[in-house]
Amino acid sequence: MRSVKKITIVFLIILTGIGWISIDNRYFKPKPIPFTIPKGWPQPVYDFSKNPLTEEGFALGRQLFYDTRLSRDGNFSCGSCHQQFGAFATYDHPLSHGIDNAQTTRNAPGLFNMAWQKEYMWDGGINHLDLQPLAPITATNEMGETIENVIGKLKSDKTYRQLFKAAFGDETINTQRMGKALSQFVLLLVSSNSKYDKVMRGQASFILPEQLGYDIFKKKCVTCHTEPMFTDYSYRNTGMPMDPFLKDAGRMKITGNPKDSLKFKVPSLRNVAMSFPFGHDGRFFSLMNVFEHYRKNMVPNNHTDTLLSHKLALSNFEIGQLTAFLYTLTDSSFLQNPRFAPPGFTNNGKAPIDIHQ
Amino acid sequence: MRATATVMGFVILVLTGLSFMNEPEPVSYQKKITIFFQHEINNKALVLGDSVLTTAGENFTIEKFRYYVSHISITDTDGKITQLNGMYFLVDESNPASKKMEIGFSDKPIRTIGFLLGVDSIRNISGVQTGALDPLNGMFWTWNSGYIMAKMEGTSSGVQQPGHRFTHHIGGFRYGINTARNIRLTLPQNQQNSSEIHIVADLNRWFKSKHDLGVAANPVCHTPGALAMKFADNYSTMFSIHPSVEK
Repeated sequence: MRSVKKITIVFLIILTGIGWISIDNRYFKPKPIPFTIPKGWPQPVYDFSKNPLTEEGFALGRQLFYDTRLSRDGNFSCGSCHQQFGAFATYDHPLSHGIDNAQTTRNAPGLFNMAWQKEYMWDGGINHLDLQPLAPITATNEMGETIENVIGKLKSDKTYRQLFKAAFGDETINTQRMGKALSQFVLLLVSSNSKYDKVMRGQASFILPEQLGYDIFKKKCVTCHTEPMFTDYSYRNTGMPMDPFLKDAGRMKITGNPKDSLKFKVPSLRNVAMSFPFGHDGRFFSLMNVFEHYRKNMVPNNHTDTLLSHKLALSNFEIGQLTAFLYTLTDSSFLQNPRFAPPGFTNNGKAPIDIHQ
Repeated sequence: MRATATVMGFVILVLTGLSFMNEPEPVSYQKKITIFFQHEINNKALVLGDSVLTTAGENFTIEKFRYYVSHISITDTDGKITQLNGMYFLVDESNPASKKMEIGFSDKPIRTIGFLLGVDSIRNISGVQTGALDPLNGMFWTWNSGYIMAKMEGTSSGVQQPGHRFTHHIGGFRYGINTARNIRLTLPQNQQNSSEIHIVADLNRWFKSKHDLGVAANPVCHTPGALAMKFADNYSTMFSIHPSVEK
């Protein structure tokens, strides 16, 4: 009798063991990260249900973002050209530096508030955030690598296999998972804590030039640089003559429509003080250059935005006040948040003054 | 004591049973049908790297030939349509296994077989895909999101390009410039009960059918638009059912 019982128990234990072998994923429970929509902001366009944010996914994305092995020669990571202190644009560079002394053909845009963006790149050619990293990885003047090689490098790395398992439940490494992980990192780059935001939340107030600048901004700039994103994500021709070397037709390259000639996406003005130079090819080194373009230097043609067909009148006084206002869009807690720094890097151990959320 | 052991045992059994629930249920069809894609040029089997002469009198060599096949559907002789959604195949001349696909179907005689040459627009806008649609297969534009529906590359003496190379990457999924094409082929009566369907693609028609697209005049097509649409019109006429199937 006793032995029957023993056998039964042993049998049940074995049976349970067999069950465990096949379940594997049953107890895969990564830690979810809630995505907070700042007060008064629209709903994001990114479909989080297809790529739920988790601590593990974010950690993997951060690792990938700063991994130089994603380039052919191992010198360039995403973070090489998207630097946190420059609001994830390339600080102080009109064009960025790519592999083999190459130059990019466009100014690296800052990376923040990506969940609200529907199309990516200055010409909107990329229609999903998860796909975006494939362009710089494969561009011969950027990271110069093939997707196949990148996936191969990740697969052969034990740490990555563990990171992918932690994020997705098993060790499968493919392009889709890489894209999703990078998206998780980039999606959490939310910049919503500038002085402007605090003023809007009633936690701070503008000084006089800032307030005057804001009033002028709402009269002259806000149609395209719409609050709260400070862009309406449209493509517009702002009378910038084509650079004879770059010959960049902008949006027309994607749509093939001559009406889209020299149209580029309206950039967000958040963190604008930290993301110079400006313009799709970085031709404007300072805000002053931009103002001079709009009031004096622009060359309107048939396809130039009708709002600018007579240029944009700006007095010296207005430029001064506008500049004061634009400086309130700098979000220093975002620029210094150690969570977004390379893994292991802690900003000298100093916590940022103020972290949003 | 015994009662507790029994209950415990039962609980463990249930848990164990549950753990097998994720297994997908195999769909059982009475019949398996194998679809073969064969590629011909000048009525001869295509051999990558072999030089041939086109009807247009252009001498050329094909080095790469691949295209997507999706949304396969079969109509039986009763007119019932069976759709195979969610299956995407990348047919690649350099990979013999990719030219053969097995699908399940009822044992009804088959009247027609249809498929989409290319990838539907939904998959073009839904982020990174896996399997045959993984962008690492080299059939995806990263700078202007979208699949290359079909690709042919090679050389031709008449092409005024580096290395006399021609590269036809045909893609574009947006309204008005959509290069995916629906193709439907009717099986000859004597093949309706066969478990094999042999589809032939006549590559001459890539260059000359609805439009005359001589390779010397059109060596490069890399962007969605008017030229890509013409190539798509041409490749939509490229397929036929092999008249006689060897048993």
